[in-house]
Amino acid sequence: MKILIAVASKEYSGPTLRVGMQIAKALNASTTIVDVAEKANKFNSKVVGLAQERMDSWEFDRPGINVLEWAFNFLAENDYITPTMVEAGFSTNMLVEIGENRSEVFLKGTVCKDVQLILRNGDIIAELREEVKQGHYDVTIIGGSGKRRMAHDLIQYIDSSIFVVNQFDPNQKYRLLLAVDDSTGTKGAVKFGVRVAQAFKIDVDILTVSKVDRFGDGYKGAAERAGKFMRRTGIQYQNIYRVGDPSEIIKNEAGDNHIVIMGASTKNPLMKFFKGSKPLKVMEDCPCPILIVK
Amino acid sequence: MLGFSRSSLTNFLFWVTQKKWFLITIAVGIILVLLPTPSGLTVEGYRIIIIVITALMMIITEPIPLPAVAIYILVFEVILGINDADGIARSFMNDAVFFIMGSLMLSVAIIKQGWDKQIALGIITLTGNKTKNIVFGFTAISAILSSFIGEHTVAAIMLPIGMTLIRFTSEDKDKVKGLSAVLLFSIAYGSLIGSIGTPSGGGRNVIMMSYFHDFGLSISYLEWMIKVYPLVIVQIPIISWVLIKSFTPEYNRLDTGVRKLVVQVAKSPNMTGRNTVAAFIFLLVFLGWVFLSETYGLGTIALFGVFLYLVAGFVKWEDLSKNTHWGVILLFGATISLGSNINDTGAALWLANQVVNLFETIMNSFPFAVDIIIIVMTTTMANVLSSSATVAVLGPITLNLGENAMHLGLVTAIASAFGYFTAVAAPACTIVYSSGLVGAKDFLKVGWRVGVISMILLVFYANTYWLIIN
Repeated sequence: MKILIAVASKEYSGPTLRVGMQIAKALNASTTIVDVAEKANKFNSKVVGLAQERMDSWEFDRPGINVLEWAFNFLAENDYITPTMVEAGFSTNMLVEIGENRSEVFLKGTVCKDVQLILRNGDIIAELREEVKQGHYDVTIIGGSGKRRMAHDLIQYIDSSIFVVNQFDPNQKYRLLLAVDDSTGTKGAVKFGVRVAQAFKIDVDILTVSKVDRFGDGYKGAAERAGKFMRRTGIQYQNIYRVGDPSEIIKNEAGDNHIVIMGASTKNPLMKFFKGSKPLKVMEDCPCPILIVK
Repeated sequence: MLGFSRSSLTNFLFWVTQKKWFLITIAVGIILVLLPTPSGLTVEGYRIIIIVITALMMIITEPIPLPAVAIYILVFEVILGINDADGIARSFMNDAVFFIMGSLMLSVAIIKQGWDKQIALGIITLTGNKTKNIVFGFTAISAILSSFIGEHTVAAIMLPIGMTLIRFTSEDKDKVKGLSAVLLFSIAYGSLIGSIGTPSGGGRNVIMMSYFHDFGLSISYLEWMIKVYPLVIVQIPIISWVLIKSFTPEYNRLDTGVRKLVVQVAKSPNMTGRNTVAAFIFLLVFLGWVFLSETYGLGTIALFGVFLYLVAGFVKWEDLSKNTHWGVILLFGATISLGSNINDTGAALWLANQVVNLFETIMNSFPFAVDIIIIVMTTTMANVLSSSATVAVLGPITLNLGENAMHLGLVTAIASAFGYFTAVAAPACTIVYSSGLVGAKDFLKVGWRVGVISMILLVFYANTYWLIIN
């Protein structure tokens, strides 16, 4: 299992990193923390590069290094990296440039496998997409963005499951809301649901929503299989059946005290591009974390 | 779907998302081509205006690499019959392009010399510890240096000095927000106001000089300085004062910061004979610009300086090649070609007439209205585009807006340096913004004040001082 955690700053990305590492620990996943720093506009990119060279000679860090340093300190404080690494401390010398826009720091993990810190420069969607493509990640963990378009693009174009750590409150006692139906994405969602429930030690609500006043065999079967899976793994769960608009019902059931897990839309990419999708609508409306499994 | 896999469809949609402004631009271009040619304009003139509009859209929104925009301009100038291939190639290269190429390479050579520590010591020796004096010193030194070595070079050299002073004053960024803004903006805005002082202060000045040449006018390096430099000197204290008033610095004196900065600079190697030779080469280039540029051209002299730096081993070709933005040079060549063809096809005159017709009442009612229109147009465009590209495109139009082309051209060149409003308007602003200590909103907060003051000053200055010296 490979997890990519996208962070942006100490001020806004604390919950994303905390939740991301908690999941990585539970899954014993190889973990990468990436910061995509803003790139200077094309006109001035070279002169900004030259200015940064001068800054290096005055011992100033390049933009984005402070974010990696903060991530390193978080890992050190929470014993996610080995004592030898902690003792050596963070230094820019550890940063290895790989390609024009990408530098990385390799760290030896403790509770989860290896931990990497990556600094990229450029457009956030394009860089995250490239990173996922290169690293074959299973899950990308991102913070909730106020920009609707950005969230849409991340879900549509990043080729991994996406966990949006939207308004995560560490003091809140969460339950897990697992949305199931007869689509192909449900199987993956159930598997992830179990892992997340185990990671956070929380109970699960398995939600099945039908648009009509009848639940077909596919829907019932999916809910029963999910329940069986929970039972086998020793997770407390309950099945909930509702009728109505799926996005609206998921949003209402989730409230602000659930982590929502659902499969990615199986709609044609063109349809999703123009009309959006159920997971996207839920992500926009729900004031809680959501995992969209691809 | 039609044999395309989900993955290839997703890749295509991602491309569409990333290139949406390119697609919009092409759509706008096609619509414009299908519209009838406006009366009074030649077909070639209309087509060159379409290329200008579409190229500007792509430069501003950056959906494709800058060199691709340059290639687009050149290719479509030929395809749309603006001129034949040889004519377009000739319009692409002139002394202004040589100058932009030479000054970008000189900039690399100068920055690599590491003169920043000596400059830091020089500023502190002159200004002492008072914040107000230091801000004035930063603005003045940035302005004076950028008049000769270009705004981006100065900003790159001065930024670490400013940031070191801030860091030595307080490690906690939140405690020195005002000080950070005031010092960093004094570097950016100082560099901008100084860049108008001499022809070599920026590529835009040289582009305007080449347009003057096309209009049968000429202005020497010294004449330019006599006409424009007093405005630089007047602006320095005013801008420093506006900055201090806009961002109240947390400390009135920077005793600790200055002391630590002096200690740090003292630890660095002293000026060597090699540094002196490097400075001497630049002095030669400067003297060449002042006394020989009318014979040999500013660009040739800049390139001769680069040649000397390379021969003497002060900079490696690999460094020059890596740090020079060849794409920008290509783009400036292409925009200069656009400017030249706007003029040759009669589009510049037609556009100028449209501006005159649009603002006829204002022009007849208010004195200096033409200056104000030029300044507002140029400043607006320079804040979303590069200043050189602004002059390259607007120059031929503004020169046709009145009888005194020299006056109008100088006003255009000066106003193109008023890129105070956004972090992307000028290289100096982008460099300062890259420090992370000032935000995009800070540029707007102080930029409009500095911008309005500079505009009023320019109108007043151009219509008093220039009349007196003429």
